[in-house]
Amino acid sequence: MLEDLGVTQIAEKVQSGELSAERVVEQTLARISLLDGGLHAFLHVANAEALEQAREIDRKRARGDRLGIMAGVPVAIKDAICTRGLPTTAGSKILAKYVPPYDATVIERLRLADAVVVGKTNMDEFAMGSSTENSAFGPAKNPWDPTRTPGGSSGGSAAAVAARMAPCALGSDTGGSIRQPASLTGTVGIKPTYGRVSRYGLIAFASSLDQIGPFATDVRGAARVLSVIAGHDAHDSTSLAIPRDDFETACGKSIRGLRIGVPDEYFADGLDPEVSASVRAAIQALEAEGGTVSPVKLPHTSFALATYYVLATAEASSNLARFDGVRYGLRVSPASLPASSRSTASDLRAMYGATRDAGFGDEVKRRILLGTFVLSAGYYDAYYLKAQKVRTLVRRDFDRAFGQVDVICSPTSPTTAFRLGEKVNEPLSMYLNDVFTLPASLAGIPAMSLPCALSKEGLPIGLHVMARPFEEATMLAVASAWEARSPVRALRPPAASRST
Amino acid sequence: MTRPKIDREVVLHVAKLASLSLSDGEVDRFAAELTRIVAHVEHLNALDTRDVPATAQVQLECAPWREDAVRPGLSPEEALSQAPRVEADGFAVPTFVE
Repeated sequence: MLEDLGVTQIAEKVQSGELSAERVVEQTLARISLLDGGLHAFLHVANAEALEQAREIDRKRARGDRLGIMAGVPVAIKDAICTRGLPTTAGSKILAKYVPPYDATVIERLRLADAVVVGKTNMDEFAMGSSTENSAFGPAKNPWDPTRTPGGSSGGSAAAVAARMAPCALGSDTGGSIRQPASLTGTVGIKPTYGRVSRYGLIAFASSLDQIGPFATDVRGAARVLSVIAGHDAHDSTSLAIPRDDFETACGKSIRGLRIGVPDEYFADGLDPEVSASVRAAIQALEAEGGTVSPVKLPHTSFALATYYVLATAEASSNLARFDGVRYGLRVSPASLPASSRSTASDLRAMYGATRDAGFGDEVKRRILLGTFVLSAGYYDAYYLKAQKVRTLVRRDFDRAFGQVDVICSPTSPTTAFRLGEKVNEPLSMYLNDVFTLPASLAGIPAMSLPCALSKEGLPIGLHVMARPFEEATMLAVASAWEARSPVRALRPPAASRST
Repeated sequence: MTRPKIDREVVLHVAKLASLSLSDGEVDRFAAELTRIVAHVEHLNALDTRDVPATAQVQLECAPWREDAVRPGLSPEEALSQAPRVEADGFAVPTFVE
């Protein structure tokens, strides 16, 4: 069955000719059409384009050309990443009809490696949320239980991979938007080091935090996608020319002697006891593999949430100023605008205001308002500057901890997937979902989530692994050591057991 | 520091800065929600940060320079292709007199 194959297996079979890219893509599209009605992981399925791309890959092979390391591998793309000729909405009404005239750098790199973009995935509007319930087009559902959220904001990408509608996907992570949905759907999700992957063509949310990263059904698959998308890009001045380690070779490497830190602060109040027990059991297993486990202190953990919501909203209020109904997206003319040419500047401002009021959803408006408030005269020092200073303290916590250990393990999310609707009216309790993922975002370090266990209710629990800047390889070695002995490795959600 | 009161007036001021025309109902609701969120943020004041430098960006390594070279970009047609209104090869805004 095709849906049993991971990224590396599909690429191998297409490279060798055992499978044609066309057949892979046909089956993938059939599976999406069978399953996505109930999951709403996709906002757009690129049926014709994907098939054409697959045939081109097959023609390339027939000509005797060497195929790339993603040969024929279907990839689902978060709808915040620009894809030339395919709708890119960022989950927002304001971009409902936007079709980018260019590809993001990560898309270019995937195509060069012979991957096939099969569709654009559902997400919280402008990546603001932890459940996909802030999507202007309705939420995605968790394949483990469709009454529950797949997490967010990259929930559509996570659900697509969990249901095996694609072996891998791209998401973006600003405060946990790859790792939390990976945790809630039992998939592997990586937030690379800040600067590792170009954001050119990613619709910006908070520029000092945003990173693009992969989802996959297994650690090696995620490592391969990361190796394709990583690297310096002249189009993004924050992307760095750090040599790419061989991320795939790191998978399966021994972790003997590796020092694993466990922060008490991540096992505090509000953590589901079942999540706590499962993650501790996984850490014990890593010790049995030769790792040495010791406690570490990350004392400013409880301040990360407030810090993040000041900094991310401030940056968002600036980034989202570009949506004004002039160069792209929705334009709404206010009723008061006269048809004649005798308009005034305030009429022009009314057009901006009406466009943005009609185009943005509640959470986006809430964050733009908060971000504008913390940057406004009289409040800048007390909120924005204060948060930037606390960000330094959070970074120093990690600097100190990584003086003693090589990786830090914790739960990814304090609970398993919650019910759709359960937290939608309480912004603060929704924000609390991200308490364990936010600190790594503020520090810019690499972090990932991978399946740890299934709860008694049959819902995935995620293991969170964090590492020093640019040490994704160490992080992947630990992740694959756990994956190799994990009891949840081969488990599939009920929605994925339907066969195409 | 005294806690600011996020009332209707503050929300309307901030909304104007952010170019958002909010309905009356939205103004009331956001005032209440932002008050709760800002109260949570106040908890950062428990930390003494007088001698702590600010982090604006995690500058983990020095970003490389690029050549100041002319490179192809979008054609005018491509750049205008997504505009809600185009006139005379440009982005059209409502005509106004100041």
